Amino acid sequence: MTGHALTPAPGAPRSRARAAVTSVPPPQIRLMMRFNLFHRPGTGAHYDIYRKQQALAHGLGLKTTVFLFYHDLFDARAIADARADRETFGDEIALSLHGLSGPGLSDITRGQICIWLLDRERKEQALALILAKFREVFGATPASVGSYHFDSSSLAILKKLAPEVRTVIGGCFEEGVRVFHGCNHSWYLFNEGMPWNPWFPSNSHTLRPAQGGADSSDIVAVPHLLRDMSLSFEGRNDFWASHSPNVIRGMGNDASFCPYDLNLVDQFRMQADWNGGHSYYNTFVSPSWLDWNHNSEYPPEVAWELYEKFLRYMAGLKKQGELADLTLAEYGQWHRAHKPAGTPEVYLAKEMLYGSGKHYFWYCDPAWRVTINAGQGGSIGDLRPYAGKVAVATGPDTPHRDIGTYPYLIQSQHRAGNAHHCYDGARTTLLLTHGDETLDLCNFSAKVSAVARTADATEIRLTPVAFTFADGLTGSLVTTYRFARDGVLHIARAVSELSDPQATLEATEYFKGAPGRTEYPEDLHGIVLEADGATPVRHAFDYDGAWRESAGARCVAAVIPQVNSRLELSVAADAAPATTGGVCAGHLFSPYFTLKLTRSLRGDGTLKSCLKIIPSAM
Amino acid sequence: MSQDNPLRNVMRCPVCFSRDTDVLMIHSGGDFHRCPKCSFQGQESEARGMYKDIQKKFHWMGRRVTLDEQRAL
Repeated sequence: MTGHALTPAPGAPRSRARAAVTSVPPPQIRLMMRFNLFHRPGTGAHYDIYRKQQALAHGLGLKTTVFLFYHDLFDARAIADARADRETFGDEIALSLHGLSGPGLSDITRGQICIWLLDRERKEQALALILAKFREVFGATPASVGSYHFDSSSLAILKKLAPEVRTVIGGCFEEGVRVFHGCNHSWYLFNEGMPWNPWFPSNSHTLRPAQGGADSSDIVAVPHLLRDMSLSFEGRNDFWASHSPNVIRGMGNDASFCPYDLNLVDQFRMQADWNGGHSYYNTFVSPSWLDWNHNSEYPPEVAWELYEKFLRYMAGLKKQGELADLTLAEYGQWHRAHKPAGTPEVYLAKEMLYGSGKHYFWYCDPAWRVTINAGQGGSIGDLRPYAGKVAVATGPDTPHRDIGTYPYLIQSQHRAGNAHHCYDGARTTLLLTHGDETLDLCNFSAKVSAVARTADATEIRLTPVAFTFADGLTGSLVTTYRFARDGVLHIARAVSELSDPQATLEATEYFKGAPGRTEYPEDLHGIVLEADGATPVRHAFDYDGAWRESAGARCVAAVIPQVNSRLELSVAADAAPATTGGVCAGHLFSPYFTLKLTRSLRGDGTLKSCLKIIPSAM
Repeated sequence: MSQDNPLRNVMRCPVCFSRDTDVLMIHSGGDFHRCPKCSFQGQESEARGMYKDIQKKFHWMGRRVTLDEQRAL
């Protein structure tokens, strides 16, 4: 086989990963989870449920942030209760921008319930009306405002009309295509590609973490709920979230027995091991989820019991000194003081509902968000090129309309990933060739064996993958990724224990991607593919499906105007050139660009490469 | 909890849900439900049995995995 011909993924690969267990040394610093508990009133019988939620929280010694809708601002009881809770328990009164109805507002929104889906003029009219009413009722502007999604124009208008707002609920992590399908194609919230943890939104795309300075909105955003970072990648993230009734919706409970709720809390607590001792969590269960509802086949008592168990667990952590309950505004103040804009965040996800134990590693900084799928040999399963600063505002007056997602270059769930049906799709891998046989690292399972962080870099090492060729040659491969700042990923592939020390392997670093926002392909015209070396290549993307190769290349690249970026795959600065560098403009049955670098390795040794995302002219 | 809630008797179609899609079935009298999106129809007990089948893939659904256990996972 040639280097780019892929070994089909068989049911059982000939070689399998060595069983391995991740061992993380006990942290040397005190771990602390910061917790926001959000509530909002309901109407009719749901108002009583909301009050019961508040009483439960206060009885457990937890403070809340109460999000009032515009229509609540006309409800004397809701206002009085919120005021009393603020005075008695230190709760915060915040503003929710969902459910845009009420006196004067319905005329502006005309049935549109989402602020980010209005045109700019009506966003401003709606926000002005809502903020004026809030000020009239409470004599001040809210410090915190919540929405399932803030697009860039909504946030800019909010900043203009209410500069006192310092903290927002800014987006639902990775809600988009799968949730759209799951809600019977009726939930128009497309905001994939955002940080999973609190962040400073940039001005041009709120889901992109700001670099700081003029790029930053200077507002702290938190996600609407925290999500299971394994199952959110693989499927519907609205099932697997910091929201007990959401887990009921996903059928992850056995009546009122649902250890998953607490497992997810603990998985987020574990992230403090790699993030300076800090972790974050919130929950936002509205009263309708604690009543009979269309997302559960259980009576309300089940949802209530699980919600109570969850809050009791959080209260217990607080008593142990391992959790601090804060209002959202208080969290924003803490975040400003301790997490400057641009601070990289990491998350090591370990799947724990199916019991697969699969690992995913997430990395996020202002240059990009990268997801390493250790279960596929360390393939990149998702890549969001923040460096290009793609600007997006949503609304009918924008070309983006309802798609607020930050575009990807790789999304291997939406876009095929590892070959399993016809051609492969968006992904990275290493292809190891010996004789006529090529092994694809995506067919081998690994785990993350170590995470190391310094001020300048994050390094992860995967467990060894044992491989066997049909002719009996065996060996071991360890992959190490080192994320430097500014969009540079150093890749090291260490081959050892070759059964024939003189054997020669061909190793091909492989990147297949395409700019996109949903599961459907977008127009790739305008992309330019390049390779240096003996016969340099510069090819405008034309869907011709041909490989173009250059001997002795050090770098292959794609210039991608759709994301204002240049993506480079190169040999490490201190390494010899590749045997061959190749680029391919895929045909319309495989609409991706592909980059590859092939090198020879005789006996044991390490091959070093570098993947870079570089902003190009906008 | 409100006893007159109209959502008291709704159930999601187990076939659509097995494809990760929430579709509310139409309660067509007695114990019988039918799906407006696919061809499934059946009694409540049958739907609930299919829900249990869907849950079989969650091998650790009943397992508490503590912080220390997750570190070792």
